[in-house]
Amino acid sequence: MNMAFADIDPILFDYAQRYLGRFMPISREELIELLQYCEIRKFDKRTVIVHEGEVDNYLNLVVKGLIRKYLPVRKNEVILQLATEGHVVQSEISFLTRKPSMVVLETLEPTILLSLTYDKMEEALDKFPKGERLGRMILYGMFIKKDENRYNRLSKSTRQRFFDYIDHHPHMLQRVPQKYLASYLQIKPETFSRLKALLSKRQK
Amino acid sequence: MLEYVRQFINQHIELTEEEFQKLASKLQLVSFDKKTRLVEIGEVSTIFYFVLKGISRRYFYRGKQEVITHLIKEGGMMGSVISFITGEPSRYILETIEPVTAYALSKQDLDELFLSNKKWEKFGRKIITPFFLQVEYQILNNIRYSTKERFVNFMKQNPELVMRVPQKYLASYLEIQPETFSRLKHLMVKEK
Repeated sequence: MNMAFADIDPILFDYAQRYLGRFMPISREELIELLQYCEIRKFDKRTVIVHEGEVDNYLNLVVKGLIRKYLPVRKNEVILQLATEGHVVQSEISFLTRKPSMVVLETLEPTILLSLTYDKMEEALDKFPKGERLGRMILYGMFIKKDENRYNRLSKSTRQRFFDYIDHHPHMLQRVPQKYLASYLQIKPETFSRLKALLSKRQK
Repeated sequence: MLEYVRQFINQHIELTEEEFQKLASKLQLVSFDKKTRLVEIGEVSTIFYFVLKGISRRYFYRGKQEVITHLIKEGGMMGSVISFITGEPSRYILETIEPVTAYALSKQDLDELFLSNKKWEKFGRKIITPFFLQVEYQILNNIRYSTKERFVNFMKQNPELVMRVPQKYLASYLEIQPETFSRLKHLMVKEK
């Protein structure tokens, strides 16, 4: 559903303004106009929101909750992203090329998303006065994060990846099952446990 | 040569004649010898290139080992793109493998275009999108495919690069050990 401004929870509105403000300063009036193109979507925990083989039609900003993006591979799965509040999440290749998704998106917590369909995005890019600028800044933001992620995966040792991640995302140990964090960081579960034990020693 | 640039920019975004002329007036034709470093690690990259001729590579160091993340040939666009868009120091080295001819666009000129008309904002998004997709494809393909599959796919899709790029660079790009790369190459020749 598209929203009239009156329907928007003021807390969600503030979140949206803060998170979008990371890409580009956005005024209250501009946000009200922009939200006309968006949908608020709510999901229970453990809901698959993009299946493998489906064309992803949404660009999402996480307003509340947690989503994992993973690649099913043989009988396994590899987690590529753990998206929390303020993160942009989608099946990027599928959305941008309009091809079936290789990856799956699933909520791990009850989740609220501010979402834009592909068609509404095209419309907003065209009609919303700062649409093209915001579209460019969001893409750049996603690209910067992705490149950094890949650089870290390729350049850092297992131990360094673990400690850097935990230092920057201390709350994730509580929010996400350990095996998912291990998969995301490309660390074997046994190694992850060993590093976690080191962590409590380090804190003492 | 400008006509060639028009063709490959057209694959990403359609520009009117007037828009293309405006862009063309900002482009500077540049040539480099082989093995020239265009961007060093720690340097802020301020130039984006549309490549007319020659192959280049983009890489970083893991310890003493070079890790190649990008191979760019004619018809491609290159730069240390993150540094270019953020204005932060480059993590990568951009270096020619062969002599390279390209059209260069400066960040200053591109920023001026951004301010002049929102069509250029779209241009800025469209020319960066392939770089973004490439990183994601590389991440997914390295997980989805075995070493042998990656090798075979690359050989089929990039016969030109296979002819022109030193084997150790191809191995690095594909994240395959050089010895494994040689072994796979022998196997492939046999299977023919």
